[in-house]
Formats: sequence, C-alpha cells, structure tokens
Amino acid sequence: MSGGVMRQPDGLGSTLFRLLVILALAVFILLPLAQTIMLSFISTIPRHDIVKGSFSLINYENIFSTPALTASIVNSGLYVLMNVSLTLVVALPGAYALSRYRFVGDRHVLFLLLAFRITPPVVLSLPVFILFAKFNLVNSPVGIALVHCLFNIPIAVWILESFISAVPREFDETAFLDGYNLPRFFVTKLVPIIAPGIGVAAFFCFVFSWVEVVFARILTVTGGKPITMAINALFGFRTDIGLVMAMTVFSLIPGVAMIYFVRNHLAKGFVIRT
Amino acid sequence: MKQQFNGAWLFLLPALGILVFVGVIPLLAVFNYSFFDIFTLQNAYWIGPEWYEKIITSERFYASLGRSLLFSLIVLVVQMPLGVGLALVLAKSPNLQIPGLMLLAIPLVVPWNMIPTMWLSLINAETGLLGEVFVWAGLDFDYKFNAVHTWLVLILMDTWHWTGLVAVLAFAGLSAIPNAYYQAAAIDGASRWQVFRYIQLPKLADVLFMALLLRFMDSFMIYTEAFRINAGGPDNATTFLSLDLGEEINGFSYGSAAARSVVYFLMVLTIASVFKTIMSSRQSQDREMAI
Repeated sequence: MSGGVMRQPDGLGSTLFRLLVILALAVFILLPLAQTIMLSFISTIPRHDIVKGSFSLINYENIFSTPALTASIVNSGLYVLMNVSLTLVVALPGAYALSRYRFVGDRHVLFLLLAFRITPPVVLSLPVFILFAKFNLVNSPVGIALVHCLFNIPIAVWILESFISAVPREFDETAFLDGYNLPRFFVTKLVPIIAPGIGVAAFFCFVFSWVEVVFARILTVTGGKPITMAINALFGFRTDIGLVMAMTVFSLIPGVAMIYFVRNHLAKGFVIRT
Repeated sequence: MKQQFNGAWLFLLPALGILVFVGVIPLLAVFNYSFFDIFTLQNAYWIGPEWYEKIITSERFYASLGRSLLFSLIVLVVQMPLGVGLALVLAKSPNLQIPGLMLLAIPLVVPWNMIPTMWLSLINAETGLLGEVFVWAGLDFDYKFNAVHTWLVLILMDTWHWTGLVAVLAFAGLSAIPNAYYQAAAIDGASRWQVFRYIQLPKLADVLFMALLLRFMDSFMIYTEAFRINAGGPDNATTFLSLDLGEEINGFSYGSAAARSVVYFLMVLTIASVFKTIMSSRQSQDREMAI
C-alpha cells in the first residue's frame, strides 16, 4: 500500500482551506470533551467546605473513596481484557481460513458475520439474559466478555482477514516447507508479520466492548458493574454531575491511550469481502 | 486462485461456536417466546402469531419506523459526505494525517451512555459552554419540549460520535490507491473533480458501501443515546424503533417484546442480504472487467 497523497503543486489558498477544515474539526470534536474535563474539576453540589461552582479536586478524590467506583474500573478492565483476548484467539484462525481457502458455505459464514455485526443488542438482550442466567454468567465480567463477541468477532475477522490477505501465499508455503506445523506457523510466523493488524483489531474490539451499555446493563443486575453502569448509578434525585464527569474522564483514558498506540495503523485493513 | 479445502471449517469452529451460543441460541429462544403470552417464564400461554398481528397493524409501529428511517436518512446525508470530505482533506495534508485521524477516533471510545450526558451539559443554559452562547445570542433553545431542537441535538451528537468512523474508513480506501493512478491522471491533465469522480470514488466504493451499511444500521436502531437525551419525547417525536422495544422489555411484556425483536431481526437480515447481493454483483463485475 503506497500512500494516496497526490503530488501536485498546491496553492496557498487550498493549504489554508485545509488547515481551517482541520481546525474546525478539532474545535467540534474537542468541545464536548473540554466541557467534560472542565466540569470534572468543579465542585457541582453544595458542600460545607467548598463553594459550589469553584475549582476543586474533590470529584477525583471521591472516586477513590467510593469502593463501588474503583471496583467498576477493575470490572471494566477485566471484561474488556477477556473479550479482546478471546475474540482475537478465535478470530485469527477463522480469518486465516477465509483468507486462504474456499470451502462449502464460506459465503454463508461471511453473511452470518455481517448479520451479527449489525444486529442491535437490544433485540437480543432479553434472551441473552435468560440464557446467561441459566449458565450462571450474570453479574460476572465473563458474561459481558462473552456476549460482546457477538459484534467483535465479525469486526476482528474482517480486519484480520484483510491483513492476512495482504501477505503473499508463498509466505505460508515456504514456512510449511521449512517444517513448521500449523500452530507454530501461526504463533512464530503469521502473528509477527500481521502485528499491526492485530493491534488494529484489538483496538476496535476494545472500543466496541468498552462503550457498549445495553448488554452490560442487563447482565449486571446486582454486581460486577462496569464503569458505564457505575456512572449510571450516580444519577439520582440530586446528581453530582462533577463526579459523573470525573468518572467519564477516567473512562476515556484507556481508549485515548489505545488510539495513541495504534495511531500509525488506524486507517488500514478494511478491504471488503462478501 | 484460492485452494478448495473444506477442512477450513475447523479453523472457524471456535468463532462459530461462540456466535452460536451468544447469537443463534438467543435468536431461537426469542423466536419461540414470540408465540407466547408470558407472565413469568414458568407461566406462559401459547397464543400463536397474535403479537405479530398486533405489531404490524399498529400505527405506533409505522410511526416509529418512519421516524427511524428519517433519522437514518438525515444521518447518512450529513455524515457520508462529511466523512469523505474530511478523508480527502487529510489525504492531502501529510503532516496532519495522524493527528487528524487520532482526533476523529476519540468520539468512538466514549461510552455510549456518557455521550448524551456530555452533550446535555454542553447545551445546559447555566454551566454549558454552548448553552451560555445560546443565552448570550438570545436563542431560546429548548431540547426538552421543542421537537425540532431535540432532533437537532440528536443529529449533532450522532454526527460528532460517528463521522470519524466514515472518515477513517474512507481514508483507508484512499490510502490503498496506488500513486500511479494519480500520475496517469496528471499526465492526462485531469481536473481535481475528474480525479475524484473517476479515480477516487470508484476505488472508494466498496469501503464506503460498508460505511453506509454500518451507519445505516447503527442509526436505524439507535437506542442508548436517543433514550438519554429525551426518552423518546417530546410527545414521542424521537421514539425510534428500538425505544419502543426497550420500553416493552422494561415493562415486562416479554412476549410482545420477543415478537418485536423477531420483526427487527428480519429487517436486519433483509438489509444485510441486499448489501450482500449488491456487493457480490459489483465484485463479479470487477472480475469481468479485469479479464
């Protein structure tokens, strides 16, 4: 893949125009975030020692003094980590098969993946709850990690498949001639060469699992609540919006860090196959 | 040419096994429930297709369907050109590409239940940055009771949330165009519009079609964000398809909710198969042209 940058002389006018567009984009995207960060440093409910509306670190202090909130950070981390590892482990061989072979029903598999990616969680939330209750998967991070595979496996297969297809078939054949068996080929040859693809797939799986709330809510009735649900629980008769915002800022940190790690590969690996 | 090897199914077994457990079995269960009147799970009565009749003959269903379609239409008309435009701008600004893409990805990592809270605080008349501007400009912005304003907030919020995905996909498509194409166009003296129309757009078609499908489905079935803004109000003006379903689940009318889920899933299947048909016919056309 060579970059799609046109080598044409450009006037000052169009350079300026592009700068303005990107500036406008930055303002648009950062505005709600600025609002969030601002409120997170303000004491938003009346307290005896802090004037309402003044700058304060009280919201962040409150996060750490509230066990339900700190526990939710751990729960979120746990289920997302489980989901991303499970998704990648099962999606990699699947993506390899779809990339390298034709087989009876391969198009049906692609169709199934597509259909599950676009099925809205609210359609499945009720039966998933009943099914998971039977298997004792409610109120535990394992349940959420499993159910998020519904949309993450299709995404991971899609991204990994296009990265694997960019590797010439001779690469596999050489390795097999050299005596690599399949598992060893996967771990020592294929994974390193498509590492950026695994990073991108991990990023998108992380994102879509981290932000999902319909399944996360229905599967955590009394315990195991992730950050999103801990924030929901903060809303009430007198909501401490400053604390809500501080928690939101916390919920953004891992995502933004992930964006930084995959920044050079964000926009690669979306070749469509049906 | 790819090798024919039916044993490849074994590679897919783990992934499909999970999808059967979290997808196929719940779908079968919901299909089963949809024919019962359910008081509790131990106390359910077979009533046949009665729920389906109720749904497809209710005006409320078609009203929600209309609102969801309108919402998706507006979302697509705004976000698709905007996303492609941003990708084109980024493709021509080598130094700003990476920061630009990072910026576009940020809204994607915000939990969905927090996005409405962020936007509501932004337009809050007392503490919000935008809200204060509205007050200062003398605008009477009332998202709670003015349906047009609720729609505006929802569309602005959704655009903030999802345009980045369209732009990232479009940018990925642009990056895959070999430089030789642009050189050939430059030799032929093609205008910028011609380059876009005859080189970039055809090469982007597949990836944009995917973006279109994802954006359509996700906006068509918008739930969390829309619910948080105004709970379907004012006066049901923002009651979309999935808000109806959420209401039934929360109201414990499980039989009806199940039938509704089946109806929605059939819509999903229809859209997916239309997408698949168009994509396969496009790709076989490409193959013929290559020969």
